[in-house]
Amino acid sequence: MKDLGTSEQGLSQQEAQERLRIYGYNELPIHAFSWVRILIRQFKNPLFFILLVAAIVAGFFEPRQSIAIIAMIALSVVLGFYNEYKAEKIIEDLRQTVSLKAVAIRDGKPAQIDSKLLAPGDLISVYVGDIVPSDMRLVECKDLEVNESVLTGESFPVEKTSATIQVQHPTPQQLMNYMFMGTVVVHGTGRGVVVATGKQTEFGSISKSLARTRPETEFQRGVRKYGNMLISLTLALVIGIFALNALVGHAVIDSLLFSLAVAVGLVPELMPAIVTISLSQAARNMAKQRVVVKRQVSIEDLGNMDVLCTDKTGTLTSGKIGLKDYWAPSGSSDQRILQYSLLCNSAIVGAGEITGNPMDVAIWEYASQTGLQRDIESNVVVDEIPFDYQRRMMSAVVKNGSGTLLITKGAPESVLSRCEQAESLKGIQPIEAIRQAVDSKLAEQAGSGYRTIAVAYRNVEPKPSYSVDDETKLTLLGFVTFTDPPKQDARQALDKFKAMGVDVKILTGDNELVAAKICEQLGLRVYRVVRGSELTQMTSTEIRTAVEEATIFARITPEQKLDIIKALKLNKHVVGFMGDGVNDAPALFESDVGLSVDSGVDVSKDAADIVLLDKDLLVLANGIEEGRKVFGNVTKYILMGTSSNFGNMFSAAGASLFLPFLPMLPMQILFMNLLYDVANMTLPTDVIDVEFKDLPKRWDIDFVRKFTLFFGPFSSLYDFLTYGIMLFIFGAAPALFQTGWFVESFWTEVLVIFVIRTRRVPFITSKPGKWLTILTLSAVAFGTVLPFTFLGHFLGFVPLPTEFWILLVLMVVTYLLLVDAGKVFFYKVCKF
Amino acid sequence: MQYSYLLFVWAISISWSAVFLIAVSIFLYVRRKHRSPVKASPSHVRLNDFVFVILLAGLLGLYIVSIERTSSLIFAAGNIIVEAILVLYTVKNRSAAST
Repeated sequence: MKDLGTSEQGLSQQEAQERLRIYGYNELPIHAFSWVRILIRQFKNPLFFILLVAAIVAGFFEPRQSIAIIAMIALSVVLGFYNEYKAEKIIEDLRQTVSLKAVAIRDGKPAQIDSKLLAPGDLISVYVGDIVPSDMRLVECKDLEVNESVLTGESFPVEKTSATIQVQHPTPQQLMNYMFMGTVVVHGTGRGVVVATGKQTEFGSISKSLARTRPETEFQRGVRKYGNMLISLTLALVIGIFALNALVGHAVIDSLLFSLAVAVGLVPELMPAIVTISLSQAARNMAKQRVVVKRQVSIEDLGNMDVLCTDKTGTLTSGKIGLKDYWAPSGSSDQRILQYSLLCNSAIVGAGEITGNPMDVAIWEYASQTGLQRDIESNVVVDEIPFDYQRRMMSAVVKNGSGTLLITKGAPESVLSRCEQAESLKGIQPIEAIRQAVDSKLAEQAGSGYRTIAVAYRNVEPKPSYSVDDETKLTLLGFVTFTDPPKQDARQALDKFKAMGVDVKILTGDNELVAAKICEQLGLRVYRVVRGSELTQMTSTEIRTAVEEATIFARITPEQKLDIIKALKLNKHVVGFMGDGVNDAPALFESDVGLSVDSGVDVSKDAADIVLLDKDLLVLANGIEEGRKVFGNVTKYILMGTSSNFGNMFSAAGASLFLPFLPMLPMQILFMNLLYDVANMTLPTDVIDVEFKDLPKRWDIDFVRKFTLFFGPFSSLYDFLTYGIMLFIFGAAPALFQTGWFVESFWTEVLVIFVIRTRRVPFITSKPGKWLTILTLSAVAFGTVLPFTFLGHFLGFVPLPTEFWILLVLMVVTYLLLVDAGKVFFYKVCKF
Repeated sequence: MQYSYLLFVWAISISWSAVFLIAVSIFLYVRRKHRSPVKASPSHVRLNDFVFVILLAGLLGLYIVSIERTSSLIFAAGNIIVEAILVLYTVKNRSAAST
């Protein structure tokens, strides 16, 4: 402490500020938000290189085209950068709201502060479930065990000590009196001095190589494969178009520029931006409902999720646990049960506020209301054996005038298994004598939806320290019963999940009768109940069957939660898991969507993809809708690309072979592509039809393939029709032909979004989003007046005759109606 | 016509698009029959399902004739008639769920 310039009083706020200035914030640069990275990403796009080649080639022969192409590169980069920067900034700001906290002594008083504000010399405390926020030297600890697998790969917990260790040139693993940033407290408590923060920590020095990557989601994989397929197809087409155009006698440079422009028209260059904008939009909407998305892509999984595994407390129940009753095996209300429960208690009692384990808090609140807490003032707690999930109980060693007492409190079956005798009306009796009556009463309480804990004790000899080995030969004193009523809006949320095709499964460490009662009260039909003890006897095939059939998994261990998630995933489900406990982290990480709550322990929040600031299932149901909206709008972009855009470029390539001139100049194609991109930018804000939100969706490449095959030719057909009108009705020269086709293809490829975006009647039974309508119609208006402007003249357009506009309107209306009729046929026949 | 020598190639190109679309429609229809053999046997083809395809073929004929005659009047009138038929078709064939 002396070396670090600190004391038992911790640092002063002023000193901490000064040290933060010198050493920097206690954070790692793994997730740092960087505008440079976003900018560089814009140049990694294959489109950029295609356009660059086109601009360089054009520069030698057609300087005007070269300038136009460079302007379009600049515009594309600015457009992509602006949208992705805005989207990522939103996500980063949201992520900042879920920060890890640390309890530090500042100015002599304990205070909960953001862990990034810790400085060397800070005196901090750690508890079960905490992620150690910095490297620290322990000054005090109790049964402290830490999982250091993040540093060493060793998953078995390491015991820590505050004693001095004599080792020459020690490795971090040998420093048993140190704790390292990123490791997890799995047992006990500790207090220590911060010795290193941020990049100076052991974790900081290797953090880049430890940055955790999660496997691609089904949707990500599908979209990536689709993009790659289009790029490969484009490359083949470009080479083919160039070769054929050159062979039929078109100028080589024109042929090259034309084929490159067609390539630009085919590449789905807006895909990353559409996905990013859609996700950030969804994240922002979810944040309004106090849901923080830590991993953007998990929103897609949330929309596709068809099974949600959740605990009971706080999600289905109010989480506001109240003490109902306390009773001895004889049935009487012995006040010692409550007094002992107060002494063996982990609640943190502050001025006017009691926090900690909800059942311990409930005991304190009850005692405070009845004045019982005063009865324990003559007792001194000399030692504690903390709670853990294996024992499912805790103990306290208490000294009073009559001697030393070990009090144990916890799950009834755990405590009863360590009891040899029980207090009863007939005095002290062997536990077997009252066991049947007690079990029957416990079952009755559980069947009514009440949770019960047991309290036992024994006299012990005074000694410096106690351990779990002392929790034997206990005398059962009695039980405390708690109420945890169903949540007001839980039924509504469960109904909504059912309507959305999401199957809810309850994974609880609690009694199956309590869980079944809650389900009954909430109208959740229970098909089968599987106990943890049954699960251990099952083969992997039986587990895979059980997870399909069961609604409740009771009395299960954290490891079994993981087995259930794995089995569901093997059965091809998209699984969400909601957990907030110390041992929920593996299941949270294994699930497709890990959900935690802000009040959960650090390690669960860290493993989660999505953090709920309030433990509320209803907001989660709304989040699923957001996920389905993202999926829907990204799919729309894909369908647009595969139908009208693809069809246009395909017919342009085909026509270039028999026309004596190019059907459109390369810079005209590029400009049309830019306008098309601008119009599509608002797709993420579009409205999704109700039926699309009804069921989970899966990426279906067969659907996209059939959609392309069916709708692609519509666009080509109308392009060829325009060629016919321009050539044979208007006898158009190249400039007029190119202008006519530019306007027609732009109208059709942009306006068709209103038809493709829904299975319903466009505008009548399915209204598009406001911004999509405004921007699309504005883009069409701009494309229409373009031939009459200076810019149009620069791009090589000429004014079109009035008769053309009349035919164009008729033709486009027929086209849109035909696509709509085709849509009816397609969905009827293909049954998607 | 300035580009009359291109008319044949043009007619082939536009017909190819329409024929391809019709072929795809038939392919999808046949696949659908195989998928649900209980509800409809492969031999039982409902003409109503193919109204859309018949309309498409009709449209193609209209377009080729109007352009071959360089008549914007036939083109306009034909389009209006087809649009009316298409509206009727989509209204009649839309299931309750998709309206």
